[in-house]
This record gives sequence, structure tokens and C-alpha cells, in this order.
Amino acid sequence: MFLTLRLLSNRHPSFIARTVFVKNNNVDDACRLVNRILGKEGILEQFRLTRYYEKPFQTRRRLNHERCKAIYNEDMERKIQFVLRKNRHEPFPGCY
Amino acid sequence: MLSAIRNTLRVPSISVARFFQTSAPQSSEKFDHKRIPTEDEGVQGEKLVDLDAVLKAKQNLFPTLESDNLIFGGLAYKDLPICNIRVTHNNTIFTFTDALGSVKIIRSCGMEGFKNTKKGTNIAAQTTAIGIAMRAIDKGFKTIRVRVQGLGPGRLAAVKGLQMGGLDVVSITDNTHVSWNPPRPRKARRL
Repeated sequence: MFLTLRLLSNRHPSFIARTVFVKNNNVDDACRLVNRILGKEGILEQFRLTRYYEKPFQTRRRLNHERCKAIYNEDMERKIQFVLRKNRHEPFPGCY
Repeated sequence: MLSAIRNTLRVPSISVARFFQTSAPQSSEKFDHKRIPTEDEGVQGEKLVDLDAVLKAKQNLFPTLESDNLIFGGLAYKDLPICNIRVTHNNTIFTFTDALGSVKIIRSCGMEGFKNTKKGTNIAAQTTAIGIAMRAIDKGFKTIRVRVQGLGPGRLAAVKGLQMGGLDVVSITDNTHVSWNPPRPRKARRL
């Protein structure tokens, strides 16, 4: 009820959103957790992107580059998984 | 199927070796389903994403409906004084306010004696934090909640400095202004 009212007055109420409690006086861990969550949610990235104006040609180039990178990473990940796979039928292939 | 093909290919070499071989063949290429181990999770945190492990292991890390009325150092959470930290690339500014937001102490790296580019370093932020923590304790602040705004080198050091100065940090909040449909930002720097 109280939270609903607060959310109605402010969609991002302070000390509810983006807040982490410090446990056992471990400030470092709490800070890192906040930063990691912000990074994962893409908030830091958006902050960085909107610091300076990005010209349309730069947006196009960035998006294309991101797509290429995603495709490359996907293939590379598959390759690495293939090489590192543990469950072989034959533990020492080619050795007799 | 494959092993059958391989056996046929190896026929000449085996026939040569057979002259000297007296024991049974060393390897029988039979597919044994039982030998394949089940999917193992390995060490904890190896396959799981780090963040998920943290969230699973610890509870009560994030505020809930009731957290406003939790008692910290004799005060309800919502009545705790706030330390606002404005972090930029060039400076770090600390502002102590009470729960309602009226400013009690304000201090920045520049005021602490750091000049020019030195203002924007993490060492400056930490020193200033320790300094302002002393003042805050003199004024009667003990338990605080921290609200950090902006990105910069002093971000981690500032909060750490407050704790090193003797204050009890209850929670850390990020209040960086980020918009997904902002007005046009200033033009990019030319390097």
C-alpha cells in the first residue's frame, strides 16, 4: 500500500530502486554488486552512450559492428565448447 | 559404422603386426553409454553466472516493503541521514543531508586542497571522504545511507573512505541520471 503510493508519486523512488544493503560492514562487496547490476542492466552503457551526441553514421557503424561481433562470438563459443567437450566416446582418439 | 570403416582401413597394418602379437587386441571400440558421465555442475560458480550465485546465497540484500521501518543504530531506515556523493570525471562532491534533504555539510575534493586534475582521482575522493566523515561524526551523524550519482574514478573510493572515517554505512543507492530518450547531448569531443 505504502509502496504503491510511493510508486505513484515517483516511478523510481529513492532507496527502493537500485539499492543494496551493506552486509557485515563489507562496503566493497555492496559497491561491486551495485556496479555489476548496473552493468548487466545496460544502465552504465546507456550513460556512456548519451554523454555525447552520437551522429547517425556512428550509430549505424556501431550497430553493424555489434552484430558482427555477436556472430563471431557465437561461432567462437561453439568452437571452444567443441574443443573443450569432456564427454568423448573414446577418451584417447587416435592412440592405440 | 565409423569404427567399422576404420577397422577395414587398418587391415594391412594389423596383419603385419599380427606376426608379433600374441595377446588379445588392446582396444575394442565399443560404444558404452554407461561410461559417459552425467552432466556435472563442476565447482560452484563455474557454470552459474556470478551474479546469480550472489543472489542465491544471500537474502535481505535488497530493500522490501518493510525495510523503511528497519532499525539501524536506533533510527528507522527512512529517518537515517543521507550522504549524497556526486562523482564526475573531474571532481567528487559530498553532501550530508538529514532524512528530509536539508543540507548539513558539503565538501568537495577541490575544497580539500586538491587542484586541477588531482581533484578527479580516487585518492582525492578517499581523503575527502575521510575528512568529511570526521566532520559528520562531530556533528552527530553516525549511521548513514549513501546515494551515489554519476560515474568516475572516485566512485568506489568515496564510499570506502566514508567507512574508513568511522561512519556506519547502511545501504548504497545508485542515483545516476540515465535516460533512454534524452534531449540531444552536447557534441562529441574531437580527439
